[in-house]
Amino acid sequence: MGEHVPLLEVKNVKKYFKVSSGWNHAVDDVSFTLERGRTIGVVGESGCGKSTLGRIICRLLDATDGQVLLNGEDITHAKGAKLKKIHEKIQIVFQDPYSSLNPRLRIESTVMEPLKNSHRFTSAKAMNEEANKIMELVGIDERLRQSYPHELDGGRRQRVGIARALALNPDVIVCDEPVSALDVSVQAQILNLLMDLQEKMGSAYIFVTHDLGVVRHIANDIMVMYLGQAVEIAPTEVLFKRTLHPYTKALFSAIPSTNIHEPMQRIQLKGEITNPINPKPGCVRADKSSCSRCPSPAAASPPAASTPRKPASSRRCWKRWNRTTSCSAAAIKRSTIEKGREKRLWNWFMTRANTAF
Amino acid sequence: MGNQFLEVKDLEVVYTQNKKMVHAVNGVSFSLGKGKTLGIVGETGAGKTTISKAIMRILPDVGARITNGEIYLNGESVLDKSEEEMLDVRGKVVSMIFQDPMTALNPLMTVGDQILEVIELHNDCDKKEAVKLAGDMLEMVGIPRVRYKEYPHQFSGGMKQRVVIAMALACNPELLLADEPTTALDVTVQAQVLGLIRDLREKYDTALILITHDLGVVAQTCDEVAVIYAGQIVEYGTKEDLFDHPTHPYTLGLFGSLPGMAEGEKRLHSIVGLPPDPTNLPEGCKFWPRCPHMTEACKGEIPVKHLSETHYYRCLKDRNPDGTFEDQTKPGGNENG
Repeated sequence: MGEHVPLLEVKNVKKYFKVSSGWNHAVDDVSFTLERGRTIGVVGESGCGKSTLGRIICRLLDATDGQVLLNGEDITHAKGAKLKKIHEKIQIVFQDPYSSLNPRLRIESTVMEPLKNSHRFTSAKAMNEEANKIMELVGIDERLRQSYPHELDGGRRQRVGIARALALNPDVIVCDEPVSALDVSVQAQILNLLMDLQEKMGSAYIFVTHDLGVVRHIANDIMVMYLGQAVEIAPTEVLFKRTLHPYTKALFSAIPSTNIHEPMQRIQLKGEITNPINPKPGCVRADKSSCSRCPSPAAASPPAASTPRKPASSRRCWKRWNRTTSCSAAAIKRSTIEKGREKRLWNWFMTRANTAF
Repeated sequence: MGNQFLEVKDLEVVYTQNKKMVHAVNGVSFSLGKGKTLGIVGETGAGKTTISKAIMRILPDVGARITNGEIYLNGESVLDKSEEEMLDVRGKVVSMIFQDPMTALNPLMTVGDQILEVIELHNDCDKKEAVKLAGDMLEMVGIPRVRYKEYPHQFSGGMKQRVVIAMALACNPELLLADEPTTALDVTVQAQVLGLIRDLREKYDTALILITHDLGVVAQTCDEVAVIYAGQIVEYGTKEDLFDHPTHPYTLGLFGSLPGMAEGEKRLHSIVGLPPDPTNLPEGCKFWPRCPHMTEACKGEIPVKHLSETHYYRCLKDRNPDGTFEDQTKPGGNENG
């Protein structure tokens, strides 16, 4: 005993996909830990590898390298019966409540599926009771339990997805954009539900989303991903007070605020997210004139995000944060796509209008 | 009123679906001046897109019917125009940016040619001039001219949306209908596209109707806002009216549902229940089954109340100056459903 073992530990996980032009670095060296009953939000633009990370953790995909530890036990290469046990402890709620439910199973059968597979119950009656209890918990009306998914609307379907994930009372639930397909009023209901359930059941959530408002509401810690790397990890309050990595800054400033009296100070990124195929070594944002903080372009790997610079927050960037630098409106410009395929992948330019960061 | 550029009066649209009547739009009236921006906010199925399609007259021939109402553009009735006359209006006077740039472009035509098509249709200029103009449009939305001969699949989502915007603006329309132009895009790209729309609107003094479900987008772009629920405008006002003094319980519910806005709030004030089934709308106020201030009287006729010249809402309750309602409960203070 003695040493504290976190519930979930992700260590230097990498996932590369083979594509025709090389290797797509979907997740590149991501590490974090998650404690019981806590929520970590994973944010980033589409294609930054956040869903892939979620899928690696619940073992729907195999990591190329690195380790995932659950209660101190390495689950990265678990197989067979052991893998089944792990699936009982880590569950996932999918983004699309329309395609993630079997259209030919009644709601009740869908929720009962994991219970059946766990072989925890000796009688069908006990299993039925348990399923009813769970459906009651997530608020699926009794009259709907015998219906098919097509008879339900998005919000109710997502409740079924949540009920299925909760059925075995898992330690970790990966929520892969569970609310992005829903309307705001229904989204609020589902978020409240997830938070209530966490209080009752004590599960830890990995909340993958692109909506910063949502993570701010639900997460204890936030990890910002860009091109497969975690560029910044910090507790929610810290991150919303002070962002350190230039990408996080730009991302946060892009959220349209509902405050009409405060004109937005927008740091506009030019272009779109670059392609993570065959990246050069170094900071993901490093290139000749790219990031103003980079000492020498693409020279070496930036300090890993997992080494906390100060206890509360960590980020993957070269330049040390200098408290005396005044922060004024900055313009980060990402390169518009250059000629030639090769060049196009990793040509980043970041020019600043002012001293920033 | 009277000399507004666009006027919509008591618009009602009905779809027939499996022999059921779907009341998509139920008596919507608004007007828009030149160079102004109106935001239409509402949830899925509230009828936002139907309104814009009715203005463009591109509702499906089979199944959709405008049962009541008038639409005037520059004083001319749109609904009385023949299909041929409409061809001159679409693209030239009114154009539309669709929600999904991936499906709004023809995959078999180069992006330049798609813009060219619009220009050739509406302008009397020779091909050479038109090609040059199409190239100019591409540059204006920030796409280098050299990509004129590329196909939509070679562009990313944000770039495609730029092409769609270039197409919509090619003939300098007086009214632009943007139907959720940024919903399919990432936040950083959304910021670019919104910035672009705003710049171009200022440059050409185009009137804009922005349809969205994102209150943040509205706050950053619009002059006036209409909140729409079940095919009715439940609250209408200038941006300041609506964001500083939201009054209708539904508007309050929408604001309460926004995560990450109120600091220290543990739970969101969500709206209970679900949007109503448009084939079977409730009597009276469409919102009463979900409303925290519901009374029996809500099932009857609902008056429109004016708070100021620009600000009105559709509800039985009067708002006290301190923001509470007649029955003394705090607005929007509804527990999770």
